[in-house]
Amino acid sequence: MKKELIRLDHVSKSYDGQMILDDLSLVIHENEFVTLLGPSGCGKTTTLRIIGGFEKPDTGKVIFDGEDITDLAPNKRQLNTVFQKYALFTHMDVGENIAFGLKIKNKPQSYIDDKIRYALKLVNLEGFEHRMPESLSGGQQQRIAIARAIVNEPKVLLLDEPLGALDLKMRQDMQYELIRLKNELGITFIYVTHDQEEALTMSDHIIVMNQGYIQQEGSPEDIYNEPENAFVADFIGDSNLMKATFVRDGLVRILDTDFPCVDKGFGDMKPVDVVIRPEDVELVSRGQGQMPGVVSHVIFKGVHYELEVQAGGFEWLVHTTKFFEVGTEVDIRVDPFNIQVMNRPASEDEEAISPEDEPPVLQE
Amino acid sequence: MRKTLEKIYMALILIFMYLPIAVMIVLSFNSSKSRTVWGGFTFKWYVSLFQDSTILNALANTLLIALISTLAATFIGTLTCVAMSGMKRPGRAFFTGVSNIPMINADIVTGISLMLLFRALHFDQGFATVLLAHITFNIPYVLLNVWPKMKSLSPSTYEAALDLGASPFLAFRKAVLPELGPSIVAGSLMAFTMSIDDFIITYFTKGAGFDTLSTMIYAQVKRGVHPEIYALSTLLFAAVVTVLLLSGKVRRRSGVPKKSSDYQKQRVKTKILAAAAAAAAGAIVVLGLLYGGVFSDAGNKVYVYNAGDYIDPSVITQFEEETGIEVVYDEFDSNELMYAKLAQDDSAYDVICPSDYMISRLIQEDLIQPLDFDAMPDATQYIGQQYYKSAQAFDPGNQYAVPYCWGTVGILYNTKMVDEPVTSWDILWDPKYSGQILMQDSIRDCLMVALKKDGFSANSTDEAQVAQAAQDLISQRPLVQAYVIDQARDKMIGNEAAMAVIYSGEAIYCARENPDLAYVVPDEGSNVWIDAWCVTKDAKNKENAQVWINFMCRPDIALKNFEYITYSTPNVAAQEEIEDEQIRNSPIAFPDQSVLDRCETFVYLGEKADRMYSDYWKKIKSGS
Repeated sequence: MKKELIRLDHVSKSYDGQMILDDLSLVIHENEFVTLLGPSGCGKTTTLRIIGGFEKPDTGKVIFDGEDITDLAPNKRQLNTVFQKYALFTHMDVGENIAFGLKIKNKPQSYIDDKIRYALKLVNLEGFEHRMPESLSGGQQQRIAIARAIVNEPKVLLLDEPLGALDLKMRQDMQYELIRLKNELGITFIYVTHDQEEALTMSDHIIVMNQGYIQQEGSPEDIYNEPENAFVADFIGDSNLMKATFVRDGLVRILDTDFPCVDKGFGDMKPVDVVIRPEDVELVSRGQGQMPGVVSHVIFKGVHYELEVQAGGFEWLVHTTKFFEVGTEVDIRVDPFNIQVMNRPASEDEEAISPEDEPPVLQE
Repeated sequence: MRKTLEKIYMALILIFMYLPIAVMIVLSFNSSKSRTVWGGFTFKWYVSLFQDSTILNALANTLLIALISTLAATFIGTLTCVAMSGMKRPGRAFFTGVSNIPMINADIVTGISLMLLFRALHFDQGFATVLLAHITFNIPYVLLNVWPKMKSLSPSTYEAALDLGASPFLAFRKAVLPELGPSIVAGSLMAFTMSIDDFIITYFTKGAGFDTLSTMIYAQVKRGVHPEIYALSTLLFAAVVTVLLLSGKVRRRSGVPKKSSDYQKQRVKTKILAAAAAAAAGAIVVLGLLYGGVFSDAGNKVYVYNAGDYIDPSVITQFEEETGIEVVYDEFDSNELMYAKLAQDDSAYDVICPSDYMISRLIQEDLIQPLDFDAMPDATQYIGQQYYKSAQAFDPGNQYAVPYCWGTVGILYNTKMVDEPVTSWDILWDPKYSGQILMQDSIRDCLMVALKKDGFSANSTDEAQVAQAAQDLISQRPLVQAYVIDQARDKMIGNEAAMAVIYSGEAIYCARENPDLAYVVPDEGSNVWIDAWCVTKDAKNKENAQVWINFMCRPDIALKNFEYITYSTPNVAAQEEIEDEQIRNSPIAFPDQSVLDRCETFVYLGEKADRMYSDYWKKIKSGS
């Protein structure tokens, strides 16, 4: 087990009476790429700012390396931040930007020069010392912001949606760059994003948040394959999310059709949510599957086709490499392993945890 | 074709903007005092500018006030922006609104309210109050420039510096302040110009003996702006242009440098420049504070309130040296303005120099006090008895006033343009001279001409007489080229008009510049005016005030003043000592007794008659 580095202990924070974080607790380990993932307003940036020291929690504690740093000023913390809009000092050249933290710590000039060279090499921008930030592209500016942070040898690097302002191609390049950097530096990255694909690509550990609560945490595979509730299922990847009835262990009734499943222990005839990923829906000839349907829409997506299939009164999203013409009569088949059964929130309290905007769900 | 039109349009705009300045610059090198006649190229106004302690004093005050108020306003304004950036939205909106009001508010309202506040707090009005006022109205200009930049700065800039280990203060100084730098400079430059520019607020918040350039120049307007002022304005203009060019150069150089060594060098240069500028500013402030007498305490003083440009400045210094009494000297530009100040607080000044009719009003309203002539032997010995006799019209027992200057009103005419001998006011109604006649733009002077022409008293309160005089003036209007005050001098010297109603003092000056001009006091009689020294009712330094008056009556001092102001002196001993024989015997400066006998002094007519005069004056000016 990895060593624990940061612990948030029952942290709450509200602005103007609006609750942003409600009794949030989490643990971050050494040398981990942790992503705080969630829609805007979910509290992920506030969490990051509390760790960075830019916000103080109303209640609760921040423990860093075994020490309570809840009241420690940001300039006293052993971590550095890469801001969303880079926040470079536009009146300084690249070298001076990178040297800023080191100069404040009164490091000798030769040390600073070495560090600047090293950091620029690390972010692939050798020879940029005397350029002014405004003459650089967005991606280059973001690399300088990263270089400026890492020369201070923080134990943790906080990244607040650092790729948000970049275009798609640049974003993908930077994703690989960040993974490489994290591996070379061997430090903890805490990354905030609302982009689930970014989170799945880079993270060792994902914390999905909504409305100030942690919805689920785990490895990218866990989060994707076994969402614990409808919000996570809907937020991560495309999915078919439906209300269903758990008939008994190993059998769930979806759209009035009974499907065998592997889940147990939800109780007999209990209302549940189920999620089936589009790539897990098999289309077979009429009569050979579990539920009849008709293809209503086809889009070519490159690697696969994205289809909509009307079946049981629900519009199923299906990814398949085979082509079906619109109007083809098919049957739907789902492997029991690919049906993810989830608790449906019953009480008011639980309801608050689930997403506000309900996913498209049909009546059972 | 289009190109040419564009060029012409551009040229017109440039001419429109810069022609006035060009005219002023040219005049500053004109050896003639006239504004219309070129008397040859000279630097003499620049030389005398640097010898004129009044101007230099005002200049020093102006720069000092501008500099300190700019520094203070920049400091306060920038901190305000920092505070505002930490506020919530409603707080910010409130603050931006509130801070805009002094800028949008009419200057006159700001000026008067500041004056009332200072009075209420019993502040002595002077350097300190003007400085406070300037800081007040300068802060919004700093906010106006700095706040938008502050607002556009991402808060992450500051947080990034904190994140990198900087303390909050260091983070502000190293990360935020340099980003704000250009807008702070822009804001302070604007504040600096606004401070130099301001007249109204300064006018209301300044006290006795304190003047900035704007208030000093304004006080001079009544008697014509000196060419030294053109020279000063030219220098100021040149300074502004130089600063503009320099700042443009610095900005261009601070672009992206090509080589790192250049960059470093430029850094060092900028730092040296900044340090030098700061040191210079500091030195000016310290010297100025000493010079401005901020630290000087109340002592043996006399507060003098005189008409603008109405004394030889060296006389003041001489008085201080000989008597050890410090003179706090202030100027007014019209009797009415002086009266307004006195009516508010007559203890602000000890000794004043109003005109005849105003003296009778001040006596009636108990704002001046009887003098002790035993304490002023020179006033009895050297001032001619005939002048005291004339003064009885407004000061019946000769108790309140010691004559200082006097003169007549008459017709100045160009002997080349007017053939017949001028003996009567009637010539001003002669259609032959249509468009060649200049009248005084002043109620009493103008009506006096018509009243005298019709054989009435210049102090008539009989409505029928005044109405008749007014009717005469209305019928004269088509013949009049213009109603003017001091332009009469320039126009007459420049042969632009054939005749003008003018004061004798002006006439002496004009006749010297243009030998074709002659002056006459018409046979029907005219006004003889007398300006005289009086002591205010609640003077704090009555004894010093009488020492001052006595000093002004000393023949050598009176002579100096006469030579400076050129208005006739009532000092008989001084008259005899005038070196220039032509002037000593000039019938304009010193007409014989018969002329004085047919002239009247103005007296205060009372509020009712004053109103009647005003009503007719309005009719005359509107021509109906």
